[in-house]
Amino acid sequence: MIFKIEDVTVYFPYDNIYPEQYEYMVELKRALDAKGHCLLEMPTGTGKTIALLSLITSYRLSRPDSPIKLVYCTRTVHEMEKTLGELKLLHDYQVRHLGAQAMILAIGLSSRKNLCVNTKVLAAENRDSVDAACRKRTASWVRALSTENPNVELCDYFENYEKAADNALLPPGVYTLEDLRAFGKNRGWCPYFLARHMVQFANVIVYSYQYLLDPKVAGIISKELQKESVVVFDEAHNIDNVCIEALSVSVRRVTLEGANRNLNKIRQEIDRFKATDAGRLRAEYNRLVEGLALRGDLSGSDQWLANPALPHDILKEAVPGNIRRAEHFVHVLRRLLQYLGVRLDTENVEKESPVSFVSSLNSQAGIEQKTLKFCYDRLQSLMLTLEITDTDEFLPIQTVCDFATLVGTYARGFSIIIEPYDERMPHIPDPILQLSCHDASLAIKPVFDRFQSVVITSGTLSPIDLYPRLLSFTPVVSRSFKMSMTRDCICPMVLTRGSDQLPVSTKFDMRSDPGVVRNYGKLLVEMVSIVPDGVVCFFVSYSYMDGIIATWNETGILKEIMQQKLVFIETQDVVETTLALDNYRRACDCGRGAVFFSVARGKVAEGIDFDRHYGRLVVMYGVPFQYTLSKILRARLEYLHDTFQIKEGDFLTFDALRQAAQCVGRVIRSKADYGMMIFADKRYSRHDKRSKLPGWILSHLRDAHLNLSTDMAIHIAREFLRKMAQPYDKAGTMGRKTLLTQEDLEKMAETGVQDMAY
Amino acid sequence: MLLFVPNDPKSDLKLKVQTHNIKSQKYTKQGSNKPPWLNLTNKQGRSHIFEFENYPDMHACRDFITKALAKCDEESNKSVVSTPSEQLSMAEFELRFKLLRENSELQKLHKQFVESKVLTEDEFWSTRKKLLGKYSIRKSKQQMGLKSMMVSGIKPSSDGRTNRVTFTLTSEIIFQIFAEKPAVRQAFIDYVPKKMTEKDFWTKYFRAEYLYSTKNTAEAAEDEELAVFLKPDEILAREARQKMRRVDPTLDMDADQGDDYTHLMDHGIQRDGTNDAVEPQNDQHRRSLLQDLNRHAAVVLEGRCIVDVESEETRIVAEALTRAKQVSKANQERLERMSRAAEMEDLQAPQNFPLAPLSIKDPRDYFESQQGNVLSEPRGARASKRNVYEAYGLLKESILEIRMTGLSDPLVKPEVSFEVFSSLTRTISTAKNIIGKNPRESFLDRLPKSTKDEVIHDVIFNHAATPSNPCSRNLTAYGLMCMAMKQSVQSDLRHQVSLLVRSMQQALDAAFQHYESDLQRRTAKIA
Repeated sequence: MIFKIEDVTVYFPYDNIYPEQYEYMVELKRALDAKGHCLLEMPTGTGKTIALLSLITSYRLSRPDSPIKLVYCTRTVHEMEKTLGELKLLHDYQVRHLGAQAMILAIGLSSRKNLCVNTKVLAAENRDSVDAACRKRTASWVRALSTENPNVELCDYFENYEKAADNALLPPGVYTLEDLRAFGKNRGWCPYFLARHMVQFANVIVYSYQYLLDPKVAGIISKELQKESVVVFDEAHNIDNVCIEALSVSVRRVTLEGANRNLNKIRQEIDRFKATDAGRLRAEYNRLVEGLALRGDLSGSDQWLANPALPHDILKEAVPGNIRRAEHFVHVLRRLLQYLGVRLDTENVEKESPVSFVSSLNSQAGIEQKTLKFCYDRLQSLMLTLEITDTDEFLPIQTVCDFATLVGTYARGFSIIIEPYDERMPHIPDPILQLSCHDASLAIKPVFDRFQSVVITSGTLSPIDLYPRLLSFTPVVSRSFKMSMTRDCICPMVLTRGSDQLPVSTKFDMRSDPGVVRNYGKLLVEMVSIVPDGVVCFFVSYSYMDGIIATWNETGILKEIMQQKLVFIETQDVVETTLALDNYRRACDCGRGAVFFSVARGKVAEGIDFDRHYGRLVVMYGVPFQYTLSKILRARLEYLHDTFQIKEGDFLTFDALRQAAQCVGRVIRSKADYGMMIFADKRYSRHDKRSKLPGWILSHLRDAHLNLSTDMAIHIAREFLRKMAQPYDKAGTMGRKTLLTQEDLEKMAETGVQDMAY
Repeated sequence: MLLFVPNDPKSDLKLKVQTHNIKSQKYTKQGSNKPPWLNLTNKQGRSHIFEFENYPDMHACRDFITKALAKCDEESNKSVVSTPSEQLSMAEFELRFKLLRENSELQKLHKQFVESKVLTEDEFWSTRKKLLGKYSIRKSKQQMGLKSMMVSGIKPSSDGRTNRVTFTLTSEIIFQIFAEKPAVRQAFIDYVPKKMTEKDFWTKYFRAEYLYSTKNTAEAAEDEELAVFLKPDEILAREARQKMRRVDPTLDMDADQGDDYTHLMDHGIQRDGTNDAVEPQNDQHRRSLLQDLNRHAAVVLEGRCIVDVESEETRIVAEALTRAKQVSKANQERLERMSRAAEMEDLQAPQNFPLAPLSIKDPRDYFESQQGNVLSEPRGARASKRNVYEAYGLLKESILEIRMTGLSDPLVKPEVSFEVFSSLTRTISTAKNIIGKNPRESFLDRLPKSTKDEVIHDVIFNHAATPSNPCSRNLTAYGLMCMAMKQSVQSDLRHQVSLLVRSMQQALDAAFQHYESDLQRRTAKIA
C-alpha cells in the first residue's frame, strides 16, 4: 500500500498495516525531520523492522536532493540475514511501483570468514586464522614478492578484483551474504573486499553492532560514513553491554606466555632485518621522529584492527622517544609483561582504578602513562615494518598492547580487577587481570556525535527513561508503543507453585531442592501433552540446565516428555546448537512437535525467533539474575550508583527482567500468531519484580494469572489454545481497528484523527 | 477386466485381459539395462509383455494392476470363504502376522477368540478384510517412525543372584544405535566378524557404556576396542560440518562467531556473571547427555532412512545406513522457506499452502489421549461448560438463521461451532467411559428424534449446496472421525461404541434417505 505521512509518501509492501506500525512511522519521521536521536519501544510481533525500513527508504525517496544513508545494526549475523530478507521484499515492491528510481544498493557486511569464497582460505577453522590466511595472500608486500617469485601463492579472487579496479562495482539490489558470495564467485571478484569497497556507495548497510561501536573495528570499516546517515540499532535492549564489552580487555597467564613468545619472534625478526635490511628499521625510526600520522599510510587496508581507544581520545602526536627504536620498544614490552605477571600472582582479589594502576606501573616498571598510550600504534608500526602476516599468531601481544593503550588513555569509567580464580569454582586456579569498562556511554558517544539520527529500538526498552541515562544522550523522541490486539493472542502466566502447592523458584537456596526440580519437570510433562507443535524452555544458566536435565533423565521425567515431543537442547557448542535448532524447526514443520531447552542470556535467546508454530509456549524457569557476587558486576553497580544514582537492586532486577522479557517475547511474530508465556518462579508474583516487565506483556497479565499452580496453569492453557484455534475477524471488532487498509489511512489523513485506532 | 491401449494414436491395437485370469506380474528392475517391461502371466500359461516409455509409467501401471487384483481377490474370496480353504499364501500369512504384531488390540482379540477356539483363523480375518487390504496398500506408502525412547533407557535385566546382567537387543535398538553413533557402526563393520563375533561386540559396547555411566573412563581408555566407543565421534563431526552448509542462514549462529569481534581472544568481558562458568574438561572422552539427547532427537526426526532394507542381518543394516548417510542438498527449498518466513502473514491476502494428508498409524491412540485430557480436567471447568442441549440449541438456532437469511461468512459463528464441537467430543469420550454402567444411554439418543433428523438434514443439505464452507467440512470430518473410530475399535467395546456412533450414522443415513425420497417424490410429481 502507498500512503502519505505528512509530506512523505510511504511505500509499504503489504495490503494492510497495523495502527502501531503507522504510529511508529510517524514518530520516526518526526525524529528524522528534527535530525535527532530517538528511542522507540514496540512489542515484538508488530513488524518493527519492516515499518522502519519502509519509512526510511521512502524518506530517502522523498528527499532526492539530500539522500540519506541507512546504517542498520543488528546483534547477530542471522538477524542481519533476516533484515535483508525483509528489505528484499520491500525493495521488490518499491521497484514495482516506482521503477528504476527506487533502486537502491543494500549490502550486508561481515567478516572474511563469512564472505570469503577462496576454498583454501576457508579451510581455516576460526575467524582469526581465516583473516591471517587471507592476509598471507593479499598483503601488499606478498603481492610485490610474487612478481619476482611465481611460487608465492596469491588469491585469484583478490587479484581479479584489483585488476578490475574502479570498475568492480555491485549493480543495485539487495545483497545478503549468500548473494554477495554468489556474485563474487560468478565474477571472480573477492566478495569481502568488494563489499568493503561498496560501503561508501551503498544506500543501506546492514552489519553488526561491533562494526560501529567497537573502535578496533569501526576505525577500519565505518570511518568513511557520511554524517547524513541514519543509524539504527535494532533489538537494542542490550546495547549498554555491547558498549562496555567493546572497551574491555583481560589478560591471563596464557596471554602473557603467548606474548612472551611473540616478543621472542619479533626480536629475531629485528635481528634478521638488522643484518639484511637495516635501512628499513632506520626509515621507520625517522618516520616516527617526524611524528608522521601512522594511520595516514594505511588507509584502505585492514592489515590490523584499529586502535582500541575511541577516535577523539587518540593523541595526534609523535611517538615518545623511548619507544621509537624497535629494540627499546621490545624492552618496554618485556618489562610490562613482567609486571603483569607479578600482578597475576596474587592470592586475593584486587580492585584498582586505572590511575593507581598506571602510577604503580610507573614506579615499579618505569613505564610512563604516555608510553602506555602509544603501545598500540608503536606495535602496529613495528609489525608492518617487519612485514608480519600471520597475525593470528600475534594476538597475545596485540591484546597486551590494547590493554596498555586503554589503561593509559582512560582514567575514569574503568576499573582493573585481578582475580586468582573464578568465584564459582575456587578449586581451579585461573588468575585473570581484567580491565573492564563500566560506562556504556563512552563507546557510543562518537556514534551520537557523528551521525545526524540514531534510532534505538527494541521490543523491550522498559523502563524507557533508563536508557538515555545509561548512554547519556538526549532523544528528541522517546516512546513506548502498546500493542493493539485483535484478540488476546498472548497469554502470560505466573506460576508460583507446583501441583503439590509447594513453591517453585530458582532462588539460590531452593534451586537444587528435589521438590522444585520435580515440579518444574511435571509442569513441562503436562504442558507438552496439550500444547501443539513447539515448546521452548529457558533456564537461568547452562550449569542449572545441565543439572536439571540430568535429574529429569534419572527420574524418568525426560522419558515422559519424549513420549510427546522430541527434545532439542542448546549447548555451548554453536555448531551443535545450530543443528539442533534446525532440527527443531523441521520437527515443528512436519507436525512431530518438539521442545527446545535453552538458556536466558545464551546465544539462542539473543536472536532466534520462536514465532508461529515454532513456539506456542515459552516457559521461563526462574528469574535470570546475573551472578551477583561477580566482582566486575559489583564494580559496575558501584559506578552506576555513584554516577547515575541508579540503585543496585533496581539495576539487577531491570537487567534480569529485560532478559526474561526478551526470552518470552520471541513467540509472537504477528497479530495472527499466538503463544503462551509461563514465568515459573514465585518471585515473579512480587510487584517490584513484575512491574519491570514491558507494558505490552503486563497489560495481558491478568490478576487471576499471578499466582498459579501447575494444574491451574494447565487448565488455562487448554482453554487458551482452544480459543485461539477458532477463526476470527482479522480486522478487529467493535470499532477497535487493529488492521488498517488504504482507505482507513486516507480517512485518517482527512480527519486528522491520529489515534482512532485506540 | 482390464483393457490395454497403446500410447500410440495410430495403432488401434487393444488388449483385453480378464483380471481373475492374471496369475502373476513381473517387471524389470529400475537401473538394469533392459527397457521397462511388464510381464503379465495368465493362468493358461500365456503371457503378455508390455513395454513402457519410462519407469514411473510402468510403476503406475503396476500399482493399478495390483489394486485391481486385490479387488478381484476380495470378490472371489467371498465365495471361497464358505468352503474353508487352508491354502493361504505365504504373503497373506505374513501380512496377518505383521498386523497382529503392530496392533496390540488386535492381538488381544486374536488371542481371545482364535486361541480359545471360538472362531477359526479364517473367520477372524474375514471380518477384518478391510484392515488387511488397507494395510497392504498403505504399507508401501508410509514408513513407520522410530520410537522416541532413548537407547540409554534400555535397562538390563539381572537375575538377582550373580552380578551378571542381560541386555535384550532388538533390531530396532540396533538400528537406533547405529544411526545415533556412526562410530559404533563403523566399528561394527570393521570388527565383525573379522575380529570378534557379534555377541562379543555388543558385550563390549555395553561394557563401555557402563564404564562411561560410572565415569570410569580411565579403564576404558586402556582397552583399545573399548576406547573406540567412547572417544568423540569423528564421523558425526564430519556430518555436522556438512549439514551446517545447508542450514537456514537465519539460524546460523556459527556465522556470528566468525563475525563478532568481541570473540577476539581476551577481548570483551570475561567474568561478570553473565557468562557461565564452565568446568574445563580435559577428559578426552567427554560426551555429554545433552549431546546424546540432541543426536537422538535428530535420528528420530529423520526416521528410517533405509527403506528397502528389512533385514535382520546386522551387518547389512550397518552398511545400508552408511550409504544412506550421504547428505543431500536442498538449497532451493531452504531459500523458499526463508523468504516465506520474512513475510508477515496477516498483513496480506492469505496464501494457500499445500496440505499434507494426515495419517496416524493408530488413530485410536490419538482419541484415547484426547479423552484422557477431558477426564483430567478440573471440575470447575466442566461446570462452566454448557451441556449438550445448550450446544445443540445453539447449533439449531444458527441453522435456523441460515435458513432465514441465507449463507453468510463465516457460515457458523466460531463460538457456536466451538461450543458444539467441544461438547460433542466431551460427550463422546465420557459416554465411552461410562459405558458398562448404562450402555443403552447415548447422548444422541437423548435428543428428540424428529428434531435430530431435521437438523442433520439441514446440515447435509447446506453441505451439498456449499461444499467448500468450513462448517460442513468440519461436520463431514466429524462423520469420518466417527467411522474411523468405529473401525479402529476392534475390541469388546466395539458394540457399545458402535451403538454410540450408529445413532449419528443413522441420523446421517436417515437424512440422506429423507433427502433422496424427497427428490424422488418431486420428480415423480413432475412426471
